[in-house]
Amino acid sequence: MILVGKIALALMGTAVAGVGLLCSEGMVEVNVVEKSPEVHHIFVVAPALLAPIGMHFVPRRHLQDAARQVKPYMPVIRAALEGLRETADVTLVDVREPGEHVTVVKEGGSIVVDVQDKDETVHVSVPIRAVSSTIEELAAASSENQP
Amino acid sequence: MRKGLQRAAVICLLATGALSSAMVTMAGTGERYLHVKVDDAKNGESVNVNVPLSMAEKILPAVNKGNLHAGKVTVGEAQMEGIDLHAILDAIRTAPDNEFVTVKEKDQDVRVAKSNGNLIIHVKGNKDGDQKVDVTVPMKVVDALFSTTQKDELDIAAALRALSDAGDILIVTVQDASQHVRVWVDSKNTSE
Repeated sequence: MILVGKIALALMGTAVAGVGLLCSEGMVEVNVVEKSPEVHHIFVVAPALLAPIGMHFVPRRHLQDAARQVKPYMPVIRAALEGLRETADVTLVDVREPGEHVTVVKEGGSIVVDVQDKDETVHVSVPIRAVSSTIEELAAASSENQP
Repeated sequence: MRKGLQRAAVICLLATGALSSAMVTMAGTGERYLHVKVDDAKNGESVNVNVPLSMAEKILPAVNKGNLHAGKVTVGEAQMEGIDLHAILDAIRTAPDNEFVTVKEKDQDVRVAKSNGNLIIHVKGNKDGDQKVDVTVPMKVVDALFSTTQKDELDIAAALRALSDAGDILIVTVQDASQHVRVWVDSKNTSE
């Protein structure tokens, strides 16, 4: 009986640790509400760690072209993401037009993009660390393919 | 005696923690922002961009493309057209507050002056609805811009650092019949 309890405890501990690890880079949140012609609501919350992990398993040949294009800009991207991580929360961009409002905000450790227009509302929140890891994975695909 | 020492150690530890937190908070509020605000009253549009200067200072040296490298921009001889900007700047720096250039034309007036440690440029169209441009740049920023030893280089990164150290300042305003553009630096993280 004690052995079963220990096994259950170990399994639970492993599960908690796994969930903790999976959520360590925060969560990606996507919320899309289409208002017309019909109302559609898409709401996705997923661990951000899945993005770089997923990128790791994509066959390198499919990433080669994108990796080649992104590689020259990596120093700038790294500097920008590092700067973003360290800066205080700020509304980076706010654009208003009649019937449309777009904001890009640095909030906590995430970049949050909100778009509102007469047809739809889009909310995307992505942890900066996850963006960084995903782009690093993409850039790594380029060097790995070089002879 | 021993308990007293332990208590004192705990109090010191807590005080250090509180002081560190306060210092971190104060450092966080020291952030400066470059704001760009474009209002188009005619079309009911507005664009606000707020860039933390610390972020810009980090990104700029990483950009190495075209004439921009390591936070410095190279201005070719052909673009300078034989003008020695360093010599002109030196003359302005040492001169007292004054109006250096006043051009009055049929279509527009141009005025370049130095006042209260700022370099001021006014351009004003004389027709109704023409653009009115005001540029105010602290001399410290201009000095930083030309602080590089190379004559054909402008040190943008140094200018950004100087701008960060300058107080709240309205740098550029452009006003025409429908649009209003403002560029300024302050310590608020919004354009309001």
